[in-house]
Amino acid sequence: MHTRLSLALCLSLAFATSAFADDAAPAGNDSMLDQGMAMFDSGKLLATGGVSQLEGAGGGGLATWALISGYGTRDGVGVNGHATYVGTGDYSLWSEGAAVGLYDRVELSYAHITFDTEDVGAKLGIGKNFKFDEDVYGAKVKVIGDAIYDQDSMLPQIAVGVQFKTNDRGALISAIGGKSDHGTDYYIAATKLFLEQSLLVDATLRETKANQFGILGFGGDKDGDYSTQFEGSAAYLFSRQFAVGAEYRTKPNNLGIAREDGAWDLFAAYFLNKNLSLTAAYVDLGNIVIEDHQHGVYLSLQAGL
Amino acid sequence: MKIKKLGLALALTVWGSALSIGMARAADDPLYQDMGGKDHLSKIANDATDNFLADDRIKATFDNTNMDRFRAKLSEQFCAVAGGPCTYTGHSIEAAHKGLHLRNSDFNAVVEDLQKAMDKDGVPFATQNRFLARLAPMQHAIVTK
Amino acid sequence: MMRALKISLAIAAITICSGSALADGANTIVQSGRAFHPGEITIVHGTALDFSNQDEFIHQIYVDVAGFAYDSEEQEPGAAPMHIIFPTAGTFSVRCHIHPKMLLTVHVK
Repeated sequence: MHTRLSLALCLSLAFATSAFADDAAPAGNDSMLDQGMAMFDSGKLLATGGVSQLEGAGGGGLATWALISGYGTRDGVGVNGHATYVGTGDYSLWSEGAAVGLYDRVELSYAHITFDTEDVGAKLGIGKNFKFDEDVYGAKVKVIGDAIYDQDSMLPQIAVGVQFKTNDRGALISAIGGKSDHGTDYYIAATKLFLEQSLLVDATLRETKANQFGILGFGGDKDGDYSTQFEGSAAYLFSRQFAVGAEYRTKPNNLGIAREDGAWDLFAAYFLNKNLSLTAAYVDLGNIVIEDHQHGVYLSLQAGL
Repeated sequence: MKIKKLGLALALTVWGSALSIGMARAADDPLYQDMGGKDHLSKIANDATDNFLADDRIKATFDNTNMDRFRAKLSEQFCAVAGGPCTYTGHSIEAAHKGLHLRNSDFNAVVEDLQKAMDKDGVPFATQNRFLARLAPMQHAIVTK
Repeated sequence: MMRALKISLAIAAITICSGSALADGANTIVQSGRAFHPGEITIVHGTALDFSNQDEFIHQIYVDVAGFAYDSEEQEPGAAPMHIIFPTAGTFSVRCHIHPKMLLTVHVK
């Protein structure tokens, strides 16, 4: 817990100080470092890279959006690291990772998710604070449209992506009826900013076998196949730096031992500058294994260029 | 014969309504009112231009530009885009920007400088976005690189 | 004899005038890179300078000195060249209303 907190603080301090650093252009020849750093053109408008959703991709908190992470325009690159904590009544979850945005076209992301069963672990006989660890590797490609510039058209920005997920509790997953300790989600996302209404809207369809985002493996005794799930967000922009919104995400119900519900949240996102942003949300993840109505706090710190 | 007359009447009514809606837009477009009218839009254009000239990212773009003319044309354009009773007499957006080889980061810098000016001139954020919504599609004509 | 002289002078004048009305390379100024090329030229009074816009910008030409005021229409890139005739001797600055750093110095003999 302490390690994660200091990681989050280090990450944010590193990028926040860069925000206040002197940007004087070097005289004479640009060094390789200068040329490298110039690729991070920080050219996008504030908040238009989205934040980091739970599995590390650019999006809201729960939903993956069609926006490409980071502040790189189509002429450059961007990066966004995240440290996210979710605390529901009986469980807690940490997600840390980073996403790289390439030429506002491709996004590559990684997240490490740790799910702590806390006291429920003891109840289940697997041990108090028993943890599931999951790695998520993501790739997203923007296919068509621009969420920000296309104000004269109804066309949204559309992206397709994959998230390859792998879990370290293969044996236990098997024991509870899960079919596999790894799996791939496929999604298509449509995102649009309606400037006229100061409203950002996303709708995403996801093909998945993941149980509880993959924390409890993939596929189950009830259903071993892919199912189509929906996730979406709506956010109202109060100012350049502040947005509030709501999200909803459906999940499959593959395991016989534990019902799985849809998840939703009400969030507030604050963008200090192009290096630092903070998301806070009230989240309801529904039933998780033997504990019902898991709701609580979602806190995420993002730092990047 | 009756149907023909009816059709003609219908067509004239539709065309007439479209025309009057168009004219009404110019006279009392809510956005033009909310942006403070012609003089306030002129102030915004001038404050935005001051920001462009102070912005290291884009000020070189204005290096060989008649700034009095630029300010006057920008004021006209803002008034017209906001739905006011003004005619823009400048060059087409394509012709004016083609030779500058501008990128998205240049366009976005201009947006940020305009937002700063609108903040300074007391335009509420929601109104700023309604105005930007009409300017945003110009990105297609302005960004050529 | 006087008649022959008048005729030959007339022919000479017409030749000079037609010669200068044609796009003679020596009297062509090109606008490109938001500048006049060449930036300075010496011509004989009564001849015309042709201005060819080969730039990516719309240009215009004006001269504003005592004794010679000229203000042209706008010139699109690639449009037919404009002609300005300098009737009197002197040095004139040719500029563009849109691009204030553009300057062509014309020495007219």
